[in-house]
Amino acid sequence: MSTSVVPETAGGYHVDVVESDNNRMVLSMGPQHPSTHGVLQIVTEIEGEVVTKASPEIGYLHTGIEKSAENLFWSQASTVIERMDYLSPLTNALCYYLAVEKLLGIDAQIPERANQVRVLTSELSRIASHCVWLGTGGIDLGALTAFFYCFDLRERILDLFESAGGARMHPNYIRVGGLAQDLPAGFLEQLDGVIAMYEPRMRDVRRLLQKNPILQDRMIDVGIIAPEEAVAWSLTGPVLRATGIAYDVRKAFPYSGYDRYEFDTPTRTEGDAYARFLVRLDEMDESMRIIRQVRKALAEPGPWQLTDTKFAPPPKETIALSMEALIHHFKLVSESFRVPPGDVYQAVEGPRGELGYYVVSNGDNRPWRVRTRPPSLYNLQVLKKIALGELIADMVVMIGSLDPVFGEVDR
Amino acid sequence: MPSSQTPPAGATALDPTAVRPDIADARVMRIVPAELQATLRRLQSDGFSMLLDIGGVDYPGREPRFDVVYHLLKLPQAEATIGEVGQPQRVRVLCGVPEDAPAVPTAVGLWPSADWAEREIFDLFGISFTGHPDMRRIQMPDDWEGHPLRKDYPLRGTARERTPRPSFALKSNVAAGTPASGRTAMALQKQIAQARARFDTHAAADGVAAAQSGANSAGAATTAGEAEPNELAERPVNLKSKDNTL
Repeated sequence: MSTSVVPETAGGYHVDVVESDNNRMVLSMGPQHPSTHGVLQIVTEIEGEVVTKASPEIGYLHTGIEKSAENLFWSQASTVIERMDYLSPLTNALCYYLAVEKLLGIDAQIPERANQVRVLTSELSRIASHCVWLGTGGIDLGALTAFFYCFDLRERILDLFESAGGARMHPNYIRVGGLAQDLPAGFLEQLDGVIAMYEPRMRDVRRLLQKNPILQDRMIDVGIIAPEEAVAWSLTGPVLRATGIAYDVRKAFPYSGYDRYEFDTPTRTEGDAYARFLVRLDEMDESMRIIRQVRKALAEPGPWQLTDTKFAPPPKETIALSMEALIHHFKLVSESFRVPPGDVYQAVEGPRGELGYYVVSNGDNRPWRVRTRPPSLYNLQVLKKIALGELIADMVVMIGSLDPVFGEVDR
Repeated sequence: MPSSQTPPAGATALDPTAVRPDIADARVMRIVPAELQATLRRLQSDGFSMLLDIGGVDYPGREPRFDVVYHLLKLPQAEATIGEVGQPQRVRVLCGVPEDAPAVPTAVGLWPSADWAEREIFDLFGISFTGHPDMRRIQMPDDWEGHPLRKDYPLRGTARERTPRPSFALKSNVAAGTPASGRTAMALQKQIAQARARFDTHAAADGVAAAQSGANSAGAATTAGEAEPNELAERPVNLKSKDNTL
């Protein structure tokens, strides 16, 4: 036994690698560790290779987004809100605007085409986000090839966002009352390209990873979560469904016309990292199933934004001709619209689980409070529980299988 | 289409939750901190098995000032689809917290997931949770002062307001018409001096040229010959005008 050298603690936790008695060791992993998928620090206590305690430390990416949103107009706040879950920004914006539309009382009047495009962008975001999870999760285990296949597919989807909204990552395409603009010419052909590309590409990726013996060895029976634990730790999304509970916000509380599409909720009962892997892969296929149905419906043109110019800006070409339109445009840009007082909780099924917004308005032109229910925060928190008794080398697998996004965890 | 947006009563509502429109998003319950644990335990045994989120809201001027908001969900049974067991339900518990005693009993005993959410409210609103095993800041640094999501906390932070900042650091700090000072003024002086120097060399060259032309033609000598080159250089220089070459 070496003599125990316990250093000064900083902020309540040990920050250095410390030798201690009983072969016990405190090891700080992150926040600059490449496999933590962001700025996560995990202070682990290990005995030999077995983790006896893990305490994740978050907050390294805290940017005060909720405070910023309170100081922006209702329509401006979505620009910072899109930066929370930066892997599926349109899902964040959709959830926030659904809440605002409920407060305004216009949620039943959203045009059909706007709802279809909102569903389309949500599902495309889910596939793009899962592509990042799949690619980087493969890299964690040494499978480099799938990363390029996944990111290529994701890049095609981001091209779609760019052509629709003007930006790859944060298009700010969803607006109150509908969309920022109609789908551009050539978008549907581009979408057809992605749909045609999806199936052979995912077949390749599945062949590379799904039956791969190394990957199965590393994932099966690692980080097992029981269904009752999943409920107690507030897990949602693929992490919950991998334990056998088929809770999906799209089915349970349908929004934007999800009840009109045919899709299944993939579940597994094992609850380990491999089950989460399979659930996400099946989820991508279900998303593509929804996208195919939306694609058929999108062929019909139609209005994509409410015509109520009190909160939807008037068409650009009318501004030079109509005094009314110019006044509305000026009012919207200079002081935005006001939202009747009240509070509302709105949830959508994000790629990581139930993404919720609790929005409070006091009747002003800025939100009084925008509280996010970040699925990553709760999914990551369970690491404290599932890491116990596992090998330190499997920590990376468990983090990858929980799929946290730190823009959302820390906000 | 007529606008569906009704103008709000008065400028702002002090308690928006009391005047909320009829939105069927969840069953809303309003309680005081003393009833909290009993309420949550009853709801949990009623089948609201998942604590989705705990959030905080600050309403300065209202009594009680803070709201701690619990979002609960009644899940379908394990390993059964939603269609088989009926629709899940939501309930929202608003717990008013007075400003002078900002403390609420913890829910960690009922749901372990309350840990980080309660720490975040403690960090950002300064409401502590009695009985919490690890009540310390989570998002902000451990030695941070103040609670950023309170409405009386400035957007850019208190430290920024305390720190004296030079006027050239941020353009918006300088009111229009303020004379430049410090490093900005020095930079301006340097630019003016350089412009003067350029002008002087040009003027001197022009003077020589004018003197030569004056010697050649008698008519031009009356205008160009009388003006000394140094006098021209003394004239004020307008840096914005392109017409400084005379």
